[in-house]
Amino acid sequence: MTQDTALMAHLLRRAGFGATKDELDQYVAKGYEATVEELLHPELAPPLDEDVIRRYHVDQNSLMYIESCQAYWMYRMINTQRPLEEKMALFWHGLFATAYGKLNHAKAVINQTNTFRREGLGSFANLLRELSRDPAMIFWLDNKDNHKDAPNENFGRELLELFSMGIGNYTEEDVKACARAFTGWTIRNADYMSIRASRDSIWPSGRLDWQFQYLPEDHDDSEKKFLGHTGRFNGDDIIDIITQHPASSWFIAGQLHDFFISDTPNEAATQYLTEEFRKAKGDIRSVMRSLFLSDFFRSDEARFARVKSPAELVAGTARLAGGRRFPEWSIVNLSNDANFMGQEILNPPTVEGWHTGQEWVDTGTLVERVNSATLEMGDATKPGVQTIIGNIKNKGPVLSPREFVEACLDEVGCLTVSDSTLASLESHAKTQGDLKFRDSDCAEERVTEMLQLILSTREYQMA
Amino acid sequence: MTTKTAFQYSHTIGFLANRYKGFLHPVDMVIDSQGLLYVLNRVGPEVGVRIPYKRITICTVDEEYLGEISTGGMGDGQMWWPSAMAFDSEDQLYVADEALNRVSIFSKEGEFLSQWGVAGAGPGQLDRPSGIAFDSGNNLLVTDSLNHRIQQFHRDGTFVGAWGEFGDGPGQFNMPWGIAVDPAGDVYVADWRNDRIQKLDSGGKFIAQWGSSGEEEGQFNRPAGVAVDEGGDIYVADWGNERVQVLNQQGEVLDILRGDSVDSTWAEDYFLANPDEGAARRAADLEPVVDPPWEKLRETSANVEKLFWGPTSVKLDGQGRVYVVDSCRHRLQIYRKS
Repeated sequence: MTQDTALMAHLLRRAGFGATKDELDQYVAKGYEATVEELLHPELAPPLDEDVIRRYHVDQNSLMYIESCQAYWMYRMINTQRPLEEKMALFWHGLFATAYGKLNHAKAVINQTNTFRREGLGSFANLLRELSRDPAMIFWLDNKDNHKDAPNENFGRELLELFSMGIGNYTEEDVKACARAFTGWTIRNADYMSIRASRDSIWPSGRLDWQFQYLPEDHDDSEKKFLGHTGRFNGDDIIDIITQHPASSWFIAGQLHDFFISDTPNEAATQYLTEEFRKAKGDIRSVMRSLFLSDFFRSDEARFARVKSPAELVAGTARLAGGRRFPEWSIVNLSNDANFMGQEILNPPTVEGWHTGQEWVDTGTLVERVNSATLEMGDATKPGVQTIIGNIKNKGPVLSPREFVEACLDEVGCLTVSDSTLASLESHAKTQGDLKFRDSDCAEERVTEMLQLILSTREYQMA
Repeated sequence: MTTKTAFQYSHTIGFLANRYKGFLHPVDMVIDSQGLLYVLNRVGPEVGVRIPYKRITICTVDEEYLGEISTGGMGDGQMWWPSAMAFDSEDQLYVADEALNRVSIFSKEGEFLSQWGVAGAGPGQLDRPSGIAFDSGNNLLVTDSLNHRIQQFHRDGTFVGAWGEFGDGPGQFNMPWGIAVDPAGDVYVADWRNDRIQKLDSGGKFIAQWGSSGEEEGQFNRPAGVAVDEGGDIYVADWGNERVQVLNQQGEVLDILRGDSVDSTWAEDYFLANPDEGAARRAADLEPVVDPPWEKLRETSANVEKLFWGPTSVKLDGQGRVYVVDSCRHRLQIYRKS
């Protein structure tokens, strides 16, 4: 494995959901910076074929059930040709965590993720403006109950604390002013939709999409003092003030660092991203370019420095195994696997999102992680597994146990493992001697088994 | 549009229900010799709790619920991805299944009789059978969608022949879905990914085609279902355009239906029993003017309740009624020729 390939594998694990050896070879031929630029412009790659998804999964056309929506997003993560678009959607979904559980309206959350796909690499201020009008967010954080005469501070508070600045950078008076600025920002038919969501009883014709509605008569247009500014602010004014505040650039920089660079906080890296955010005036695409090209990101310390989230693990393994490339009923089993590992996409546990890093892994979820990955890779009929077997076969008629293990590691997205892991894998390979592709040697079974062992290692759980 | 034949909305049957009196993601319907309606509920996703909800609901055009046939599962007489139905000349009900690649046969009372079908790409093998219809010789025509062809079987599953191959030329197909046979025995196929309707003779020879890709009048976006009346007019469930188009044999558009549903009697019964929900519903604006930022037709359907959302099948009853299977709205919208 060359250094170029190892770096490219690192980039694709973070900016996407991993890559096969063949894909990595193609990216390396393009070069690192050209690949970064390609990833930053997902609009240049073809979109997913939504028509075949909706034809075979009628439930993924209506998007009425949470399981349908989770399966739909899992299929997207596996099959997208725009990996960073999907990864940014996952990042923003974790930050602006909105959960189906309270809404009883799964498509509303999917619509929010569509906003992340469209706007997730654009202006941060614009994204916040879209978010503050997003019906799922309005419902989730009770802004439909935020009235001129009876403000509800839930959205205003979380906008400051969890979505843009972080605690300690504003006062309670700022929270109140923020909430007042968003009064009258609601959804149409709020009363009827609230009844249906709370009871989840009869929706005679299925769910109806929610629409943003501004009620000027319910908006507090009086003067407000917010973060040192005074004026008759509305929600858009508030977002302008927030996004020009130094705390917001530091806040987003930290979130990007933790999701894309390392589970371990790094003040210097965060400071660097903060400056890049300021220089770019909040343009996320520019910040991501700086991030991927930075030494912080490319360094050895950043490699395998994040625990894969369940969604990353499941989607990445499925991409590697090469199945699931066309709608099949069983895709829901994969999204359920991620649920069992502790990440119910579209239904995060709280508005704080998921606790990531080492908290993804406990004795129960580790078993789920290993079982899911090895089951997916254990099917030698899958095209990706067949390709791996073919590539290893092409390395020569006979491979020593060490060569066999290294070839498999290379094929699993250029995985780097510790000396002790390598020794264990080699020790297992030695039990059956050299790998020989003759009919009587069960070479394909040996490769499949070795791949499963590799997917069970600590290193494969890391991104 | 020159409206040479106009259709009036009549009424809606069904509402969302997991079992019994209601539908859940219906994808097709057929009418037996006595005029009873059989509605195929595909349901989805395939997770434990929802699998038993797969069923065929029997009712009348006047909204009388009569019962259910079959359930979800992979065993004999069960369904996994049911896609289409047809009655033979003896009123036996044939049900195609895209996941199990088989056709199951029931008596119209719901007794499981037999099944046939083998997965594959060879002659007589199936890869996602999407539409079925009986031809004038009482053989079953199957749109074998991922093999991009039409196959013909005796009722017992014996292979008779196959027409077509992948492509966009005359007589070629790209993931065909719905299929219908007119009184003269000619065959109409919703050539889904070619955005057209093809007409073939009873031997599979190409006769004509209508449509191109788009959302203008006479164009299609992934047509799913097709029906033909005695006068030769063609009814197309223009799935991706969220509408039904009616054409004559010259391809002239006679009418375009976008959906006009009001609550069915079954839904009204529920609101009578839950008056607070009924009152909130009556106070709500269910026909908002919307301007979705993407996929305008589909997202408008998701916002405006009366419109079709994912019309998968269109059927006729010989008495001037047009039945539209409104898959994402869990109902049938019924129109009458005026």
